[in-house]
Amino acid sequence: MQGIASILINMHIIPKLKERCVMAKKILVMDDDPTTVDYLVDLFNDNGYETCFAYNAAEGFEALKNEKPDLITLDLDMPKVAGPLFYIRYTKIQEFKDIPVIVISGLHVPHRSIKKVVAALEKPIDREELLAIVRNTIGEGSSD
Amino acid sequence: MDKKILLVDDEEDIRDVLDISLSDLGYKVFTAKNGEEAFQIFRNVNPPIVLTDIRMPIMDGIELLQKIKKENTDTEVIMFTGHGDMDLAIKSLKYEATDFITKPINDEILGFALERAHERISMRQRIREYTENLEEMVREKSARLVEVERLIAVGQVIEGLSSATRNIVEDFEGGITYFNELPCLVSIHNRDLKVVATNQLYKERLGDKIGCNSWDAYKEGAGRSAKCPVGKTFHTGKGQRSKETIQDVNGREVPVIVHTAPIRSGESDVELVLEISADITEMNRLQEELRTTQQRYQQLFDEVPCYISVQDGKLRLVATNRQFKEDFGDEIGSYCYNVYKHRNEPCPDCPVVKTFESGKSQQSETVVTSKTGEQYNVLTWTAPIRKADGEVTQVMEMSTNITQIRRLQDHLSSLGLLIGSISHGIKGIMTGLDGGMYWLDTGIEKGNQERIEKGWDVIKLMVDRLKNMVLNLLYYAKERDLNWERTDVLSLAKDVASTVEPKIKGYSIEFIHDFDRSIGKFEVDTSVVSSALINILENAMDACIEDKSKKSHKIIFSVTQDKDHIVFDIHDNGMGMDRETRENIFTLFFSSKGSKGTGLGLFVSNKIIQEHGGSIRADSTPGQGSHFNIRLPKVLPDILKSKVNKKAQSLTIE
Repeated sequence: MQGIASILINMHIIPKLKERCVMAKKILVMDDDPTTVDYLVDLFNDNGYETCFAYNAAEGFEALKNEKPDLITLDLDMPKVAGPLFYIRYTKIQEFKDIPVIVISGLHVPHRSIKKVVAALEKPIDREELLAIVRNTIGEGSSD
Repeated sequence: MDKKILLVDDEEDIRDVLDISLSDLGYKVFTAKNGEEAFQIFRNVNPPIVLTDIRMPIMDGIELLQKIKKENTDTEVIMFTGHGDMDLAIKSLKYEATDFITKPINDEILGFALERAHERISMRQRIREYTENLEEMVREKSARLVEVERLIAVGQVIEGLSSATRNIVEDFEGGITYFNELPCLVSIHNRDLKVVATNQLYKERLGDKIGCNSWDAYKEGAGRSAKCPVGKTFHTGKGQRSKETIQDVNGREVPVIVHTAPIRSGESDVELVLEISADITEMNRLQEELRTTQQRYQQLFDEVPCYISVQDGKLRLVATNRQFKEDFGDEIGSYCYNVYKHRNEPCPDCPVVKTFESGKSQQSETVVTSKTGEQYNVLTWTAPIRKADGEVTQVMEMSTNITQIRRLQDHLSSLGLLIGSISHGIKGIMTGLDGGMYWLDTGIEKGNQERIEKGWDVIKLMVDRLKNMVLNLLYYAKERDLNWERTDVLSLAKDVASTVEPKIKGYSIEFIHDFDRSIGKFEVDTSVVSSALINILENAMDACIEDKSKKSHKIIFSVTQDKDHIVFDIHDNGMGMDRETRENIFTLFFSSKGSKGTGLGLFVSNKIIQEHGGSIRADSTPGQGSHFNIRLPKVLPDILKSKVNKKAQSLTIE
């Protein structure tokens, strides 16, 4: 049995199987502009990530609970509860506090209260730059 | 700069977030969770800037604002308001809040507001320095005035002196030396009308005349005899005063005023005469100087860019400067509060009253009303005027008109908002364009027709938004008159419908028009009203596109009439608006579209309809849809027409 396993490893079959077994990483896209959400969702899907999205903070909390995302892209300028406040609130919750966040916003400077931000991108965003940051943070998307 | 700041909000989260932001900006932040707690802190640390929420338990923001303003009127108080709190925002401005920021609080806008607050503080500082310098200037000028008057008084002093010297000059040989210091020509004469002693200046100017005749110093003429002033004094026994001309050692003629005084040795006989001559040219020069100084002082009083008044203990105007008279009338004797504020009793917290009480200068900012009813923001500074014993008898009040500065500030802040919202809108559009191009690119790559179409539609949408934004900006930027004509209602409605129909159908939204065919004509500026209607229809379209809750959407555009009005109705079953949004949609820079709206569209549409004497009304239920009702008069009111006609006339004349 061991022999077969080693053969499989040598043929790079097991790592691939492993990769397949691990669920694709999921990104929560938060923005109040539907076009932007649509765009980012397609972009991430095309690159092998699963996605969920939210147009406001209330939907954002729902998505955190139900979808358990691995990464959040957050617009800072959403109505009702602004981005920074959403961040402050969800990082107070033990279960979610370590989810990395990428700020994508029309504002020049990310809010300093968002301490553990992975990166802050200003709109309009550089697509390749965004994908590179996502890859560095949660790894490659799955190949299919 | 004092970087202390007090932050008041009942929500802990908001305090946390803002505390971090403000600390990053270099502020020492004090926080409080209600007005009462805040006011305690305020009294202890006296921060120059206070940020406060309005709706709070125990003591709300408005009450806190009033208390702070009473304690220190210079404090810059910035209020946080919800979108629906327009009334509270206006109320807080009435109580002299510096600014208000709508929630949720955007860092950039907060930054602008703080910058403005600092500008106000430093401006106030500068104006204060300026008025204080002015005070210094007035003080200097008046000191000089006093000095000149003192010199003028010398003439009179000499007169008194001559009689007082009788006693001193008992021993004339020794006494005369007292006169060496005087800026006058002093001599003593005996009964034989000979000069017996002179002071140093006399010797220098006229030469050694001891032993000469009393009249030798005078120019040829009637005075050069026993009838000279000294002779007359011996004759009458009384002091004389006359104008004479004397000749100095160089033969130059010098006009002088001559005073003489008899000096009696015993009971009756005049033994000697003291003669004092003062150089008139010098006196004239001094008098001239006094006149110009007085003139300059008056000029300063009149020309300083302030309203200056001097008031007595009953707050009556004793003196006012030209600026004051120009804007408030020549009201000497009237009560200050009557003239400045059109009140019948003294104002609370009157700085003049405080100055009378404390004897100290006061500063305050207030609004006054001119004789023509215009309101001015003024910065007021007062100074006590004291009698020699220190009692304050009058108070001078100087008020600088800072209305222009205030207006400019308001204009600048709305400009700041405009630029902020536009740059934000453009960023949103650029992101949308990126998305469109991505779908187009990847669609072509993968041969996916659906994606290509989706990409192309998004690009069209974004280009449209960009176009509208630019058109609205152009409209906002320029004042224009109505260019009206009698127009067929039906053809206008059809034109509008055909402009938006392809777009609306492009999103698979049903578009229904329902026009009254017998509707006739109305007076309207066709191009602007069309663009207003298109704007509202496109909003309806956006509301449908963005609504994810329904399978199918439709927009109904109808035109009807009543007696005097043409009525346009636009119904959609899109996402709808909540109350807050509905109440604010016509406000400048309000946008519910997040990064996509400029907050200009409906503001401009509303302005257009109102310029026609019409009205616009919006009803909506969130999740159900919206209804806009636009009423335009069939015949334009004359006042709106005449404005245009006047313009047309002036053009023909030119």
